[in-house]
Amino acid sequence: MSLAERLLISRLRERDEQAFGEIVRTYGDKVFSLIYRMLGNRQEAEDVAQDVFITVFKTIESFRGEAKFSTWLLRIAANHSKNRIKHLARRPTEGVDPEDVSQVRLSADRPAPPVQAHIDAPDKLMEAAEIEALMQRAIAALDEDQRLLVVLRDVEEMSYQEIGEITGLPEGTIKSRLHRARMAIKEELDKHTR
Amino acid sequence: MDHAQAQATFSDYVDGTLPPAQREAVDQHLSACIQCRTELAGFRKTVGSLGRLKQAAPVNLLGDIKQQIYKRSRGRFFAPRWKLFGRIPFEWVSLATIIAMLVYYIAMLHGAPAGVRPAP
Repeated sequence: MSLAERLLISRLRERDEQAFGEIVRTYGDKVFSLIYRMLGNRQEAEDVAQDVFITVFKTIESFRGEAKFSTWLLRIAANHSKNRIKHLARRPTEGVDPEDVSQVRLSADRPAPPVQAHIDAPDKLMEAAEIEALMQRAIAALDEDQRLLVVLRDVEEMSYQEIGEITGLPEGTIKSRLHRARMAIKEELDKHTR
Repeated sequence: MDHAQAQATFSDYVDGTLPPAQREAVDQHLSACIQCRTELAGFRKTVGSLGRLKQAAPVNLLGDIKQQIYKRSRGRFFAPRWKLFGRIPFEWVSLATIIAMLVYYIAMLHGAPAGVRPAP
């Protein structure tokens, strides 16, 4: 842990409001991106991101500095996301955002529109949004452990060592689960791009 | 090496973590197998596309969190601490006050003041 990070954490323990702001500004994007891709819903992600930072500030005394602060923070974000997924699975009507196209689950009775149908459309932004929605739906079709690995490795581009510290999994397990997850995403995308 | 064996190495191949000897074996298979080359291209594209899914936090995230903290702690979370004794333990002070008042009340109910005798 760098000296600057240690000082920042020490100020955080003193409940320094500016240090608090620096933490949110530094790690806000990473935390939000992880949660958003885990949940696939912006409003839910905002709520969970708020809870994550509040938990961090309330439990900063328990951070002993054995791991990097970012690792500790992302572990909390990952656990909150998994808990939220379980909570939403028990209450399927919650967390459905009609504006959020990625929320529509892939199913045999309601297949997603093929990407090819939009390739020739003049609006490239629309095409990018469609592909993003397809990717998000393919991620959402994974179980929560595979989802976390894909998000940490491929979306957040973290090293296997960092992922191991966050998830507590050995590298071999991470690699094999990640490979299965990537293949599953590819298969889902192939169904809609052929 | 067959198709299944080659495709099982795709993650390591794309990540660049495949040992040199194994990478060479996969390369040999790929040079002769159009099906696996196509699969690998699709796999690489999928992994690359995932890297473009980063999402920026909403601009008001910090403000919203601060608002939540102020609301939940009733403004005490960021309140200044005492220099020597840290934060004022409002909860303990309140509890001690309640207990003191209760003890005083019970003493007033049951105890007679020392040195005072009831009137004959």
